[in-house]
Amino acid sequence: MKPIKNILKYASTIAIAGSLASTAVADVNVAYFLEWATPNQVAKVEKTYDKVLGEKVNWINFGSGGAMTEAMLAGDIDISFSQGLAPFVNAVNANAPIKMVGIAVAYGAADDCIVSGKSGISKANAAELEGKSVAVPLNTMADFGFRMTMRHLGVDINKVTVVDQEPADGAVSLVDGAVAMACGYGENSLSKMKEAGKPMLTSAEKKAAGITSFDIISVTDKFAQEKPEALRRFLEVTHEANAEFAEDDSKIDVIASDAGLSVEKTEAQMDGFAFPTVDEQFEDYFGKDGRVATMLPFMGKMFATEAAPAKADYSTVVDTSFLK
Amino acid sequence: MLDLMFEYRGFIVGFIFLALIIASIAATIFGRKLIRTEKTDAVFGNPSRALGGWHWVVTGVSFILLVWIYYSWDMARAFYPKSANELCQIAKLDFAVNPIRSVFPLDNEYLRSTTLLKREKEQLNNLENEVNNLELSEEAQAHAEETIQLMRSALKSLTSSEFLDSETVNKLAVVESQIKEITNNLTKEGYPGEPSAEQVKLAESQERWGDTGNEIPLHPSSPRGYKFDAVAKEMKEVSREFGRIKNNNSTFLSQVDELKDRIAIFKEVIKSSKSSDKALADKQVDFSKTLRRVLQRIDDGLIFPPQSMEGIQAALVGLEKEKNNQQGGLGFIDSWMMPGGTIKAGTTACSEQGSGRWLPKPSDTLRTLTRISDPDIGYKGHPLLWYKQKPVSEMVDLIVPDFIAALIPGGYPQYSEDGSLSSNFKSKVYNFASGNFESFSVPVPSGHIWDSLLRVLAGLFFGIILGVPLGLFMGLSRFCKGFFDPLIELYRPVPPLAWAPLILTIFGIQDDGKIFLLFMVAFAIMVISARTGATGTQLSKIHAAHSLGASSRQILRRVILPNSLPEILTGIRIAIGVCWGTLVAAEMLAGTTGIGFVENVARKQSDYEIIWTTIIILGLLGLIFDLIMRWVINKVIPWRGKG
Repeated sequence: MKPIKNILKYASTIAIAGSLASTAVADVNVAYFLEWATPNQVAKVEKTYDKVLGEKVNWINFGSGGAMTEAMLAGDIDISFSQGLAPFVNAVNANAPIKMVGIAVAYGAADDCIVSGKSGISKANAAELEGKSVAVPLNTMADFGFRMTMRHLGVDINKVTVVDQEPADGAVSLVDGAVAMACGYGENSLSKMKEAGKPMLTSAEKKAAGITSFDIISVTDKFAQEKPEALRRFLEVTHEANAEFAEDDSKIDVIASDAGLSVEKTEAQMDGFAFPTVDEQFEDYFGKDGRVATMLPFMGKMFATEAAPAKADYSTVVDTSFLK
Repeated sequence: MLDLMFEYRGFIVGFIFLALIIASIAATIFGRKLIRTEKTDAVFGNPSRALGGWHWVVTGVSFILLVWIYYSWDMARAFYPKSANELCQIAKLDFAVNPIRSVFPLDNEYLRSTTLLKREKEQLNNLENEVNNLELSEEAQAHAEETIQLMRSALKSLTSSEFLDSETVNKLAVVESQIKEITNNLTKEGYPGEPSAEQVKLAESQERWGDTGNEIPLHPSSPRGYKFDAVAKEMKEVSREFGRIKNNNSTFLSQVDELKDRIAIFKEVIKSSKSSDKALADKQVDFSKTLRRVLQRIDDGLIFPPQSMEGIQAALVGLEKEKNNQQGGLGFIDSWMMPGGTIKAGTTACSEQGSGRWLPKPSDTLRTLTRISDPDIGYKGHPLLWYKQKPVSEMVDLIVPDFIAALIPGGYPQYSEDGSLSSNFKSKVYNFASGNFESFSVPVPSGHIWDSLLRVLAGLFFGIILGVPLGLFMGLSRFCKGFFDPLIELYRPVPPLAWAPLILTIFGIQDDGKIFLLFMVAFAIMVISARTGATGTQLSKIHAAHSLGASSRQILRRVILPNSLPEILTGIRIAIGVCWGTLVAAEMLAGTTGIGFVENVARKQSDYEIIWTTIIILGLLGLIFDLIMRWVINKVIPWRGKG
């Protein structure tokens, strides 16, 4: 018995020591999405971030922005790159100590609602969706897009049966004809959806209706306080990568392989993306009536719950000082 | 009633907490006493020794509730409802001081200057090693080496106090004295004086701790709160000032200028002597880029001579001490009443971090449960458990298959030329079968819980109906065993989640897919348990029945089935548990209703109260089912273990 006891004792000691050691990581940990092509992936692959920051930058992929928030609260992630506004607003409503430091991607068509061809529904007779099933990943940017589209087309959401499905699952349901419309993001899922139908609104129509959105770069308060230089450098490298890509997009295959997409799908996705420069961000987004100032309260109210009511003022969670 | 309870939740929770402690102690004492006085005939190993013992149930339940109330900080909120607000003010000071504090080896092992210095020196070493591999011209190599040397001396002019200019020294001294001033303010009684009318108004207008979600009242409302709030604001300014201080002494600046020129020259040199080998050329460019980046980082001027920082560090330690001194009993509340975490301040709000965040308070959870139990509120448009009026025709549609209309000879009627519609027997049957007729409505249960319950029961039902006979025959027939054994054993170990992606495309988003997933889980368990039961029947009983003239059918029904009932019932008990376990996964596939759906949606919003509500509902439902099964087992096979 005694050796077993000893082994158990050592094993538990090692386990405790290991768990303590793993919490004390000094590197910079960044959360990102797969299937979401951004120019800074070139910098990520070429380790430019590591070189400029002088520290090891770990990239961890996530399935949803909500999970990014959880990981940030648990202290495992410092920077969430391209977190959706919806999860960010949810986190802020729940008093999470995180803030927005910049815009990662602006997009109109990257999340989309695809109507199945079989249903015979288009924007002309969109009200026929009432009583039918629609696959939506709830509480994501696609959910936001869905609600805005329905509002624009005058469809009563309460009469639509909303099925909560991840985009990949929603694509399967749309192809099988189980749902009349599926909303989602991610180029692989969207192109599979488009096999069975076409977008409810074209990107031009969406733009006209004001249904465009953007993903942000969010950080924990702690990281922003303790490593402001690293954060500033991180944003610099990101913008440099954006600028380099705007001039010369020959490295798209690097982005494609890092995003887990084919080159064609990457091109298709990035056509719908815009990567605002620092000047553009200050001009269009962070101004007094900029898009951030209008979108945050709007979405805050949309996703407010009993436990996490909307905030009166969202400007305090935006910090542009690291962009300058 | 509920509002009143909510108003006085502090008293109620506190009372319950004390009552639970008393109950568990009383039950334990009672149990100890019973052990001493009770005379038991049963020897060790006899299961009847485990009969009774409700008092241990009391202790067990009380213990779980006590742990929950304690770790969710409900106890802290009940006994010290104002503490969160005061701790929030203290957290504001911590938050404000953190930018300075993180520079010093107070929470970290090293001074930040040390970490930075180490990092840059390592980089310089790497660069030095690399110079030789670049195949540069002799001149260029010497230039590069000199540059690296100069960087080293630039680092030295940062770390040595002899170069430190008086301006920086002054700035550091100012920060030090400001921190001391803040520490001094902390000690002052009644600092910063009477709160302004605006502050009082803010303090009075805010809600109590946790009235909405996990909100902690942000504005100070007590003398201690006002004091900490005031010094936190001062500290924020000091931190900002400190963040601007750079070690920009003239020696260093001139060195940086020279370095910039040198690197620019070096860049030109490698550009002009462009090597034909592309890999090598890339390497050279990379080298010059890295040189520039290291210089950029050194140029931040964040490295200071260690002695110059000692004053601030001492001031910070003093501040920390005074903070602990001033917070008094709050420190005790923070560490003992709020285990597993603390209250932290952020830019906008104070929040509970640690177990206070992810473990909602029992009182809040109960309130959330009551709220979403209200059929008018529900969750995502569906009540938890309620009824709705459903016309009988819908049920007829569900039960009677449409194709019976097609069996009747003849065709469907057409409309006549004047546009009037007629009907015949065939169309009437079709209307009946498809539920297309006027009917009265009957109340039918509905809601998330009901939907989940139906799915589990349906899966279980089919699992038992098909699994038990198959299991019995696998135990009795060579063909059945040989034919089905590989099939069952192959699919049984596969976790139900592995089937999930297939289920979606085979069955679609309706209930049948979810039920099938649950059926698969229940089926395997039922087959195995029925088979074990059948093979475990005592041979002597079968022989006895046979010699008394029983037919095969009679042996199966009268001997084998009753004898395998204990295994089958235990199998059902296990299957119920596993079905509930699989339910959340099944409802994740295409959620429209159900407990699993509620949990999946709440998860994306980090709504821990709802998440815990669903966990509790699932637990209670599982418990109820298990109690029912225990009762059934006692009724059906009271003889088990006594044969």
